[in-house]
Amino acid sequence: MKRINHETIFNMGHYNILSIKDVRPELVKYLYRFMVRLRRCQEAIIKEYHPADEIRCPVHFCIGQEAVPAALSQLLRPADHLLSHHRTHGYYFAKGGSMKALLSELYGRETGANGGIAGSQEISVQDVNFCSGAILTGAMAIAVGVGFALKAKKEGNVAVAGFGDGATDQGVFWEAINYAILRKLPVVFVCENNRYATYSSQFKRQAKENISEKIATFGMRVQSIFGNDVILVHSVISDAIERSRAGKGPSFIEAFTYRLNAHVGPEDDDYLEYRPKPELDFWKINCPITLLEEQMIAHNLLNSVEKRTIISEIDKEICDAFAFAKISKFPNVLNWGKLNYSTNSLLADRLLRDIESTEFNQHQKDTIPIPY
Amino acid sequence: MSEMSYSKAINNALFQAMEINADVVILGQLIDYKSGVFGTTSGLVEQFGSDRVQDFPVAESLMTYTAVGAAMAGMRPVIVHMRMDFMMYSMDAIVNWMSLMRFKSNGKTDLPVTIQAIVGRGWGQGPQHSKNMQTWFAHLPGIKVAVPATPFDVKGLLLESIFGEDPVIIVEHRSLFSMTADVPDVPYRVRFGHAIVRRKGKDVTLVAIGSMVPLALRVAEQLAKESIEVEVIDPRTISPFDGRTICESVLKTGRLVVADPSWQSFGTAAEIVTQVTEKVGHRLIANPMRISYPDSHTPMSASLEKKYYPDEVSLANTLKKVFNSKRTREFNGSFLL
Repeated sequence: MKRINHETIFNMGHYNILSIKDVRPELVKYLYRFMVRLRRCQEAIIKEYHPADEIRCPVHFCIGQEAVPAALSQLLRPADHLLSHHRTHGYYFAKGGSMKALLSELYGRETGANGGIAGSQEISVQDVNFCSGAILTGAMAIAVGVGFALKAKKEGNVAVAGFGDGATDQGVFWEAINYAILRKLPVVFVCENNRYATYSSQFKRQAKENISEKIATFGMRVQSIFGNDVILVHSVISDAIERSRAGKGPSFIEAFTYRLNAHVGPEDDDYLEYRPKPELDFWKINCPITLLEEQMIAHNLLNSVEKRTIISEIDKEICDAFAFAKISKFPNVLNWGKLNYSTNSLLADRLLRDIESTEFNQHQKDTIPIPY
Repeated sequence: MSEMSYSKAINNALFQAMEINADVVILGQLIDYKSGVFGTTSGLVEQFGSDRVQDFPVAESLMTYTAVGAAMAGMRPVIVHMRMDFMMYSMDAIVNWMSLMRFKSNGKTDLPVTIQAIVGRGWGQGPQHSKNMQTWFAHLPGIKVAVPATPFDVKGLLLESIFGEDPVIIVEHRSLFSMTADVPDVPYRVRFGHAIVRRKGKDVTLVAIGSMVPLALRVAEQLAKESIEVEVIDPRTISPFDGRTICESVLKTGRLVVADPSWQSFGTAAEIVTQVTEKVGHRLIANPMRISYPDSHTPMSASLEKKYYPDEVSLANTLKKVFNSKRTREFNGSFLL
């Protein structure tokens, strides 16, 4: 394995290795369109957020991190599961979540993906097997549990966990890696290493930056890649998913990438000076959409007319989605109990008998247990 | 019907659950050895295999996330903690994920996870082997908490949890494990939020939880000889909680004592006293009292353990005090009853 990290990637200057030669044009176009749709949707949310302030929830954008979701979108089946961190929009789209339901969720409307209950950072849609959360290492650990069930059901489905380098600080992360390999679970771990947990760089948090090498010592199959080369990302994740489907166990992929927007919200947070400007400039030049676009133009897969058409179609969808969200109703008066507990248990009704007993022999002494 | 011990009733419930539904799996440390978690998991691995009866790594945190994920993908996992203290490693999984999965999915996501948490007691178990954190869990929305006191109830509540659709924590007191009773052979349910009157009485309502139930019944029997008729109510589950049955009893007796096997301050007993006072406080003829553990961690030394855990004498004295006292509007200058 060729060792790469944020330093070696930065030292490359311009990434000119991305190649779409030998790749199906439909796949290239699919990935491009997914990334542009995700980017423009998020840019539209950023633009709308203030001063209207109708979106009243923390939103973590993933501008610059479109490649992994694009690849997953093309590779995952409806019955596969995806569990992600709080930077959810890309993953949510990857699993087939609708844009109208996303925007309605952000606006806190009853038509939202979660009825306006969860918001951007916890959006979770059971119908498409997508779950996310802000206490984010938990999602990665839950993916292991999903993998446990998928292995037992033997239908060739997989669980994918999407998280960042920050998640690898947590203890349960390592418990999860160990258990997944121990039980050969069909789980693909995708670490989008964007170098920062909120503002804190990996070097401030970890003694050594080599996440993949550490994980390899557990006996896990690992790969470190430049995460903004969507073609490479697609091919590597595709291999990992196929291995898991075939019962060959989990894989870990470390995709080096970068968040171009602030940690949270539409405002810029670079006034905090937590990341060097040359680094930011490098990643702006090497954003996954730009890199793919250059190649597509070179291979006659995209011209300016086609690009304008794609963008105008996407913008129309975004515009409709905003309109839908804004005219949707706020959630009705809630029954708090129903929101938190089940209202029926059909399986128990079918399997269990209602028997009541008040009998109990009260003359027995409770026991003080023996030593263990 | 068969007569069986509390631990055998747990074993019987797990066995039947696994037999009638292939989605039921059990995870826990050392569950597949001959000792079988005090006999509760004995024989399961031989019958159902090590994929369904898994000795889990010493990673309680991951164990709980695993159960959550497995339930999300259609299974009905049961996890076993030989001591509730070790379960504390999994607080994030319980608090930030398990308890709110239904809520954040706008009521849609079923999450049938059953956690069996055994509370140790005696033989110097000390502060890291005997904690009962039931109140923390009852405080959390989205989780049900059962406190079965008899072999009949533990089997029925376990089956109800496994085949229900919500996450459940079942608090099992180790000191109850050898008690026997008649238990139906068929799979049956004990429903959540249904208290049971274990002994009828007209003078004092005694709410007894978990391991306090047998103690309460013995004391009630003693006091009957002194013509004090104690009504013993076992809530069986503290979340959801059946306040109605207790209030109805207090309307009759006008007196309330709560015996709770956990720390007193801000505890389950405090909640029960509050609910009763809010609803039928006007009918109380004596100040309610709690009998529970001191606000201290559990000591090891046997002589201190004896002082720490309430016994028949201390419970009887409390009941007599409440029986003999009258609430007056005038303050008599003392905060003692």
